[in-house]
Amino acid sequence: MTRPPARVLGAVLVLPALLAGCFTASPEAAEDGGARLRLALAFPPAAALSPFSDDAVLTSRMGVTETLVGLDDAGAPVPQLAGSWSRPDDRTALLELRPGVVFQDGAPLDAAAVVGVLEAAAAASPAPRAISGVGLTARAVDADTVEVRTAAADPLLVQRLASPGLVVLSPAAYADPAAPDPVGTATGPFTITGLQGDSAATLQANDRYWGGLPALDGVDVRFTADPGARTAGLRAGELDVAVNLPIAQLPSLTGLEVLSTPLPRLVGLFLDTADGPFADPGVRAAAARAVDPGPVVDGVYEGEASRAAGFFDDATLAGAARPAPRLPAPADPAGAVVRLATYSDRPELPEAAAVLAGQLRAAGFTVEVVVAEYAALEPGLLDGSYDAVLGSRLYLGDTGDPVGYLATDLTCAGTYNLARLCDPAVDDAVAAAGALTDPAQRRERAAAVEATVLGTAAFVPVLHERSRTGHAPSVTGLATDPFERRLVTAETAVGG
Amino acid sequence: MTRPAAALRTGAAALGPAVRPLVTAVAAVAGTALLVGALPWLSGADPARTVLRAREAERDVDPATLAAVRERLDLPADPVQGTLGWLGRVVRGDLGTSWVSGQPVAEVVPPALGVSLTLATTAAVVALLLAVALCLPALARAATGGRPGAGAAGVVAAALAALPEFVVAVVGVAVVAVGWGLLPTSGFTGPEHLVLPVLALALPAGGLLARVLGGAVADAAGEAWVRTWRAAGVPRRTVMTALGRRALTAVVPQVLLLLVGTLGAGAVVEAVFDLPGLGGTALDAALAQDLPVVQAGVALLVVLGLAVGGAGVLASRWLLGPAASAGGLSPELPPPGRRTGRWAAGLAGLLLAVVLVGLLRDPAAQELGGRLAAPGRAHPLGADALGRDVLARFGAGALLSVGLALGVSAVALVVGVAVGLLGRGRAGLADVLNALPAVLVAIAVTAVVGPSLSAAVLAVSAVAWIPLAVHTRALAAEVRASGFHLAARTYGASGRRLVRAHVLPAVLPPVTRHALLRVPHSALALAGLSFLGLGAGPESPEWGRSLADGVGYLERAPWLVGVPAAGLVLLGVAAGLVRTGR
Repeated sequence: MTRPPARVLGAVLVLPALLAGCFTASPEAAEDGGARLRLALAFPPAAALSPFSDDAVLTSRMGVTETLVGLDDAGAPVPQLAGSWSRPDDRTALLELRPGVVFQDGAPLDAAAVVGVLEAAAAASPAPRAISGVGLTARAVDADTVEVRTAAADPLLVQRLASPGLVVLSPAAYADPAAPDPVGTATGPFTITGLQGDSAATLQANDRYWGGLPALDGVDVRFTADPGARTAGLRAGELDVAVNLPIAQLPSLTGLEVLSTPLPRLVGLFLDTADGPFADPGVRAAAARAVDPGPVVDGVYEGEASRAAGFFDDATLAGAARPAPRLPAPADPAGAVVRLATYSDRPELPEAAAVLAGQLRAAGFTVEVVVAEYAALEPGLLDGSYDAVLGSRLYLGDTGDPVGYLATDLTCAGTYNLARLCDPAVDDAVAAAGALTDPAQRRERAAAVEATVLGTAAFVPVLHERSRTGHAPSVTGLATDPFERRLVTAETAVGG
Repeated sequence: MTRPAAALRTGAAALGPAVRPLVTAVAAVAGTALLVGALPWLSGADPARTVLRAREAERDVDPATLAAVRERLDLPADPVQGTLGWLGRVVRGDLGTSWVSGQPVAEVVPPALGVSLTLATTAAVVALLLAVALCLPALARAATGGRPGAGAAGVVAAALAALPEFVVAVVGVAVVAVGWGLLPTSGFTGPEHLVLPVLALALPAGGLLARVLGGAVADAAGEAWVRTWRAAGVPRRTVMTALGRRALTAVVPQVLLLLVGTLGAGAVVEAVFDLPGLGGTALDAALAQDLPVVQAGVALLVVLGLAVGGAGVLASRWLLGPAASAGGLSPELPPPGRRTGRWAAGLAGLLLAVVLVGLLRDPAAQELGGRLAAPGRAHPLGADALGRDVLARFGAGALLSVGLALGVSAVALVVGVAVGLLGRGRAGLADVLNALPAVLVAIAVTAVVGPSLSAAVLAVSAVAWIPLAVHTRALAAEVRASGFHLAARTYGASGRRLVRAHVLPAVLPPVTRHALLRVPHSALALAGLSFLGLGAGPESPEWGRSLADGVGYLERAPWLVGVPAAGLVLLGVAAGLVRTGR
């Protein structure tokens, strides 16, 4: 008898070996064996690191790209590639570029390069959200002065330039103006030298960095979408830093440290004011009264969040007085059937929804909870398919200004109006706040609008989130940034 | 048959056997590309919006922005035109560019497929080896004339078959990679990264294959030639080899199905290990409606599925050897296995007792102070993240989990047997469907039916019948090659009588056993669709759902995973030991 099975078995066994070429290329080893940081970011590049997408935040957190101005923790503009600026009139900003800055490819940072950057961004389709629809134009006044103008008076013009979508890259990056390439063309302390698909990137220190020689020799970045995988990598010592750790796994991080930064990110319950049981303000007020954020903050978020009194946290309002909202008189829910939707992309939200549903049931509502991935849920969220939405939302946006959030989320024409609120009093108040130029005044008015909206009981605030970045104890100098734009800097180091 | 169809059929026949697979492949690629291309129209979700969301998660979507994105996408006017245009470009070798990332599809999909192929092939080989190893005792017993039966290895196999892949994956990472530091936790830069993902895929699959293989061994051991060989003093090893080869005919097509099915459906395991595979790529692209990427991925998978399916048919024929010609085989009904019925009843009784105790308690009462409480007097099986009693939820979820999964398996059994008997052993619809990523099937079903529990059942059933059909096909081919079938046909028995009296009695018991083994899988597959808002609701105590919710707390509260997983394993072992013979 011949023995073909044995031969076949042999062939079958070597089959996987033939495919071994399919492994991802590993990042090249460091040339001088110096200190490198192993970093895991929370999502893979969506658009090949083009700044005209969320990838702008990735390159900015890796310490690769920089903008003309930065934002401090309170949202005020601070010098970055622009050393100083002035506002000759309410449509114009004059930027004085920082002297002696060169791009990572050796080209000098001059006014012509910056004008090219801003024109490419303005011409992008769609334009980066910070300058979408503002009619931005730029002109070189002299070799290191740039004049930026908008079509209408714009109190936030300088803040807009801090948006990650407006990172400054060398002219060589714009071979395809619709998808600028930040590999080797940025100004930051680290240069991208290798990109392994959308799973990893290799960075080398930029020894011509204007802010001085970076402490690290390089960074090995991995884009790991699964929070459990990031936590496991950190615990196993394969990573030095991992961002957005899941609260459920924080207690397992023995011997590691966690940086917890308050974020301008709001979690709350939006009630559909247009139809369904919550069209009745009294029923909304009953729901608002039933919700107790305490168990959500202490239980589900395990204290890694702060209770929200309104849309904004106290730091955002910067001491502005917070008028107390006047809720309508609560009505009896009488078993009203409520569909409460939330999304599973943020692992805490489904649990929080279950707790809130329990509280609403105790108050006499009949609640059905719907959970799905955000992408599968979004159309239904905005067209009123659900009576209540538990959402998580950044309220300071790209410019560090709270009024823009109020306009998109709470006015009749708002494009992300989960509560489908259309109240002339709110619209007028938001429009009045938007016309102010002084940031402090804008915040004061924002606090007033907040009280007006809370008085409609269209929104029940629950909590403000924090970011959680885990790192090995030997890592120092990580940036804590409420806007989540900076993480690795020239000062970041890995000790002994 | 209508006239054009008849003309088409004669036309295809005239083209000859060599061209036929090509025609099938082109039709399958065009058909699935049309299905994918029609998704935005079916679901009513604007691709401009989904693509923008994938690029910028929190951007405000105003009409001007949407218009700008739509212009860039160059959306076709309708799905048919879009698909024709796409086919035309593919013929010229242009796969287009991704709508989301703007990268050429040829640089996105093939590398991901390479990763998935490496993973799936290794997993299939390991699963097959595991199955053979688990069946060696039964094979030895059969060759020496002992009574065939499941035995301890059979129980192990049935337990493995009921293990959820993602639980094996997460436990593997926590214990082997983090706890012992033996292997890397994630990434895919060398063979050491392959071990844990392969185990996660191969342990459950190997258990299932072992049960199918064990059944085939028991059936083959009852055939007359085995007794004859033994009586004639043929060496034991030779009998074992021949028996093994005979039994493998039923399993090889299953291994190939597993291989192709894993390619596009491994999103969960890929996510746990951060592997850049096709499952995750297809999932993201399908959710973002990045049609060029989805179409290219699906086309590649369909072609691979058809090729591998065809190879499976050939391999089966080759394993049967010359015996496959009419009259060469003599399948007989095996004698009943030993005492397995009592085991099954005992395990089912235990399960039932726990469920009954659980039913006496309140599954919905939240008590956040008792979050993740360990098993104790208040909560005999611990409490979950909201302080709800795990025992109560286990009991309350049992009826739903077992009922739904049994329902899906029953539908799959009926459809699978019917299709398996009607199909004449060609690669076809089953291979195409098997190759499609499950998420795509689910999205398509949701688009048509709307998100609901029935949509989830439909989406899972749409794929669950395939292994059963392929199993039926392989067994029926053996029966049709048997002496008694030939004899009955010679005596003029009608086709219906041939099926009822000869094919079904030989095919139904092993395929029913197989369907029962897949009951826990169906429960998990249903839970796996929850990210689309399908399946049991988020607060439901359904077991698959509880498992998925509890897996993040694996190390802090292992009972959250352990209890429902134990339920599935008990269910799987009990179902796998049920006697289905006469």
